[in-house]
Amino acid sequence: MTGVPAAGSAILEVSDLWVGFPSYREQTLHALKGIDLRIEAGEMIGLVGESGSGKTTLARAIMGLVPPPGVIERGRVLFNGRDLSAQSDAARRSVLGRELTMVIPNPRAELNPVLSVGRQISNIAFYHLGVSRQEADRIALDMLRAVHIPDPERRFNAYPHELSGGMAQRVVIAIALVCSPRLVISDDATSGLDVTVQAQVLDLLQTMVREKGAATLFITRDIAITAHFCSRIAIIYAGEVVEIADRRRFFARPGHPYSIMLLAAFSHNPALRARWTRAEEIAGATPSTGCAFASRCVRRQTRCLNEAPSLRPLASGHAVRCHFPVEAQA
Amino acid sequence: MATATAGAAQAAPAPKARGGQRLRFFLAVLRARPAFAVGYAIVSMTVLIGIIAPWIVPYGPLVADPNVYLLPPYAAHILGTDGTGMDIFSRVLFAPRVDLTIAVLGTLLSACIGSSIGAIVGYYEGQRTWRTAIATFVMRSTDVLQAFPVFVFAIALVAVFGQSVRSIILAIAFVNAPIYLRLMRSQVLSIRRMRYVEAAYVAGASDISILVRHIVPNAMAPVLSQLSVNIGWSVLLTAGLSFVGAGVVAPTPEWGSMIAMGFQNVVTGQWWPSVFPGIALGLTVFGFALVGASIEVLADPGRRRILSGSLS
Amino acid sequence: MRILRYIGRRILFVIPQLFGIILVSFFLVKLIPGDPAVMMLGPTASAKSLMELRDRMGFTKPLLTQLMHYLHDVVRGDLGTSWQTTQPVTEDLFQRFPATLELISFGLLLAILIGFPLGVAAARLKRGPIRKFADYYGLLAGAMPDFWLALVLIYVFYTTLNWIPAPLGRIDMAVLPPEIITGSMVIDSLIAGDMDALWSSFGHLVLPVLTLGLINAGPILKMTQSTVERTLDSDFVRYADMCGLPRRVVLRQAVRAALPSIITIVSVLYGFLIGGAVLVEIVFSWGGAGQYAVQGVLNADLNPVLGFVVFSAVLSLIIYLLVDLLYFALDPRTRA
Repeated sequence: MTGVPAAGSAILEVSDLWVGFPSYREQTLHALKGIDLRIEAGEMIGLVGESGSGKTTLARAIMGLVPPPGVIERGRVLFNGRDLSAQSDAARRSVLGRELTMVIPNPRAELNPVLSVGRQISNIAFYHLGVSRQEADRIALDMLRAVHIPDPERRFNAYPHELSGGMAQRVVIAIALVCSPRLVISDDATSGLDVTVQAQVLDLLQTMVREKGAATLFITRDIAITAHFCSRIAIIYAGEVVEIADRRRFFARPGHPYSIMLLAAFSHNPALRARWTRAEEIAGATPSTGCAFASRCVRRQTRCLNEAPSLRPLASGHAVRCHFPVEAQA
Repeated sequence: MATATAGAAQAAPAPKARGGQRLRFFLAVLRARPAFAVGYAIVSMTVLIGIIAPWIVPYGPLVADPNVYLLPPYAAHILGTDGTGMDIFSRVLFAPRVDLTIAVLGTLLSACIGSSIGAIVGYYEGQRTWRTAIATFVMRSTDVLQAFPVFVFAIALVAVFGQSVRSIILAIAFVNAPIYLRLMRSQVLSIRRMRYVEAAYVAGASDISILVRHIVPNAMAPVLSQLSVNIGWSVLLTAGLSFVGAGVVAPTPEWGSMIAMGFQNVVTGQWWPSVFPGIALGLTVFGFALVGASIEVLADPGRRRILSGSLS
Repeated sequence: MRILRYIGRRILFVIPQLFGIILVSFFLVKLIPGDPAVMMLGPTASAKSLMELRDRMGFTKPLLTQLMHYLHDVVRGDLGTSWQTTQPVTEDLFQRFPATLELISFGLLLAILIGFPLGVAAARLKRGPIRKFADYYGLLAGAMPDFWLALVLIYVFYTTLNWIPAPLGRIDMAVLPPEIITGSMVIDSLIAGDMDALWSSFGHLVLPVLTLGLINAGPILKMTQSTVERTLDSDFVRYADMCGLPRRVVLRQAVRAALPSIITIVSVLYGFLIGGAVLVEIVFSWGGAGQYAVQGVLNADLNPVLGFVVFSAVLSLIIYLLVDLLYFALDPRTRA
């Protein structure tokens, strides 16, 4: 595998993963096209991509829960050496929520509306840790305290609709961390929050994950967020990892035109933005033979339309899927 | 491709073209869900039998032969004879003429009245004018009408109008109208806020033309589905009215009244005068329910998509 | 208390509705052709005695005055008298409503016992024989006329097998009915410890309850299936799955979230059956309230009809109020 350190023990190994959604009388839509990803124990990796790039499908595939009618067509996902999609429902459930957990966006819609939040945290402890109900409740209360929810004794009996978005997000973090998991997947977890609350929640998530020693796959649309605490950054576009690099290296010398386009979008310099963003995409869909990004790429050449690039190492710990990677600093 | 058609049908003003493709999709659906095909078959058979009954029945539906009363099914009377010696087979085949006429006309009438009032109420509700007051009044009146016990209400209506086929149709129309009123109102309420309706308003179209051209055609799907199911219910209601003696007058060939005539015979062991009309009645209602279910699936883009996914 | 305030508001809201119901039914009933005076005195009565009777019954006064009188009486609990039974309608209804309520309560209980588990099972399994069975059961139960099913059951269990007593009333003529406590003969005989009465009333109750149960399980099944299916598809169930909660726990949570819709359909069915069980009542000569009202319409006996409508409206309102209270208990969102 390219661009990934070989040392250390991998908690997650995704290799050549293809996920397709078959549809009636149409070509199967490939949400993931040969994803390779390796996460070491305790590592925090940021996965950045726009909506529809396959981020959420990847998260679901890692949990072994590809939403129907999607199917894993090729490749595999090993979590802690086991393929969750191949395991029985009961065996998978004993891993999910305990060793592999998820922080979701928009928690007020996803928490059970008729159970108190304390009960929902306590349920996780009760069913995964095999403790008594009283003990589970005590653990839940401790978690509420740990995620800095004010007046936790009272909030324990509150229902999701009675909490603010930021508060509910803290509850979800508590649920994800109550069993001290090995890997936490955060899927666009803070996208629904106000910017100030978002920063607080992110800080909390980062601190808690560090404390528990869990690895994190931090999926987001917002590349700026990853700059703060991810040790590695992967960029995903149209179901493919197009660039993966250590954080310092990535922000200093991004190699893929799409990565630079994403970074430029945050820049205050309109000239920079204009230089890296194509005003008009070429008509028609991307040719199936060429690079998936070709239609939006400012550096496109003939070769890009005819030949799909592979993920090639650019430097140690840095790989780019581009025929003509940007060598100099943007 | 079928999915694309589904999307197009859902998008605002539904294009009328692509009829061939729709027919092909419809046939594919019938192949995938044979129960729907059974429903369409039952309904068309019932209608057909009702039409051609006079030419296919072996005996007149009102001819009583006192020599052969209450005979179990045998060669000459394949479904047996009833207590007055009438041929049950002939009467069962004649019954759709009365039952379907009443149910279809009553339901159509209630759908027309209910959904036009519902459309207007839904369109004007929430605008701060005197029309809102009227809309509220109509809805509260509907609450009152729906609070009535349906069956007693229907019997009372028939009693008021006088016992005749026309009265039963009116009674059915009356008790069912609130269903369509509510259905149409809620549809119109949600469609009214859509972009293309606002666009038509901004373009200066009149209220009537917005309602008739843009809103009603897009609100019809659930009404159609309800219509089919409701025809089934109305057949049941007609039969129930006749059963208590408040429906069609006794010797008329009608399923409910036939079941009532055979009531005492069943207790003494002659089951056929009541059982056969009941089977015919149940089959008919079942057929209309299946047709309603198929319309519900075909009109719901989400379920249509799942169905089209399972077709491949 | 929020609940009390809610109930108070609710009752304030239903008073105009109740008034509307009485108003509509009063005029509707007055429109029914047929002269009660002629019905009561027979066709040979003299014109003078007819006039006197009409006058005594208030039929000669203007309609509005009659309505005011009626409303005045209703408020005091007087629903007039029935000329068929020559008893006060209130008394008649208090005798007959328990019969109807016993029938439909047990019928719906059976319907829930059939429809709810079947609906949950069908929602869990998207394919397979149980799902198929549930689909067809729902459609068939909705298609079958209840009075016809009642006749078929009578033919099988009474005429042919002779397992149950003749379909005439709630208890054998020869058996002394138990003292009325709850109004349900089966429960009352159980309380009285009267085994003969219990056996007899139970035998009479079996078939009508089976009829109503089998038919009404259809809508309960459909509602259970579709709502449980929807909650199983919902965000919070997907999240619970991601959290690795055991399958049975997730299913329990989904069913719990679907309960309000199921309670709603049960309450709607209950309200409907108060008048809608009349056909089954007639087949089994049950002597219930619906039967009383239908006899009233057919014989121009107006007070029983009006009384029945008022009674069943009030009863429906009580049921809906109870349902609202159940919502309070079940869904914290309604408490806000």
